Amino acid sequence: MAKNKRDKTFGQFLREKRIKKGFSLRKFAELVGVSPTYLSQVEQDNVDPPTADRVKRMAELLGESVDEWTALAGRLTEDLPDIIRESPTAVPDLLRAVRGMTADQLRRLRDDAERMKKEK
Amino acid sequence: MRNRSSTTANKLRFMKDQEFEDEAALLSAEYGNKHGLVTAPPIPVDEMVELYLGLSLEFHDMQKLFGVDDVHGALWVNEKRVGIDRRLDPSSNPAMLGRYHFTLAHEAGHWRLHRQLFQRRANQHALFAENVPRPEYICRSSDTEPIEYQANRFASCLLMPREMVKRSWHEWREGMEPIYLADLRAKGGNDGSDESIMEDAIRPFAAKFRVSPTAMRIRTESMKLLFRRREASLFA
Repeated sequence: MAKNKRDKTFGQFLREKRIKKGFSLRKFAELVGVSPTYLSQVEQDNVDPPTADRVKRMAELLGESVDEWTALAGRLTEDLPDIIRESPTAVPDLLRAVRGMTADQLRRLRDDAERMKKEK
Repeated sequence: MRNRSSTTANKLRFMKDQEFEDEAALLSAEYGNKHGLVTAPPIPVDEMVELYLGLSLEFHDMQKLFGVDDVHGALWVNEKRVGIDRRLDPSSNPAMLGRYHFTLAHEAGHWRLHRQLFQRRANQHALFAENVPRPEYICRSSDTEPIEYQANRFASCLLMPREMVKRSWHEWREGMEPIYLADLRAKGGNDGSDESIMEDAIRPFAAKFRVSPTAMRIRTESMKLLFRRREASLFA
């Protein structure tokens, strides 16, 4: 699944999911609050992926993970810059340390983090 | 997909009026089986093209792409793509809604009636300069080729199905009485051409189907709901 996503551009992925959910281009554009011409440009990868709030809206309409889609669009969700700013050394350091770990390892690490927070 | 008699030979076949009605009704029925029957206007042509026919809908600057200013739509048969000129995007040009629908239905017509004339083997490519894939159909408003006429007839039948037009007419006019140009002229208010007077009268009816007054005038004239002249009656 992840591999598939990486093989596809944001535009191709968006179009595929939109059709699968049964939204026409014009209907989906209306729901997201953009023009069909713009959405068409996004789907053809002729313009940069939309802003984080639009990507969020798209992911919600399509029942997809907001974080995943935001990353796919090459954007950061609103809360991330603040999280990094709160611990400007430790958080980037942690991110570098976990880079390259498998999804399963990351999940275990996250569970540990939750546990540690509760122990605090 | 079964072979259609209209497209098995590698040249355009003459089609009778009723065949356009039948082909359009067939597409509506196929769409209806999968996505729910369409029983009232407007016809969901966006959904038919994208969700049922599986064609990618794209807006393009056609003038830039083709260097002429009257290209409304294009069809890339082998890539299953439909392009519509961005000037017809109804969200930025609401007055173009009818034209937009008609162009989309017109391209659906090419897809249903003519695509086998142009389908190539996968290793054959036709490219414009700069490696832009060449569409098999470039549809210009100035084009009067028979193949464009056929796509227009299909579009008209698809967006304004005969029985649906009759039912809606009955509802709108509270009966099946046709409209006569002479009566419209007598009412006054428009001293323009015959066409513009008839199109003014038919405008609210066209809006129900989300088509242009011109498209509806042509359709209702052909269905004998709108007359330029009173027909001579044997019993008058």
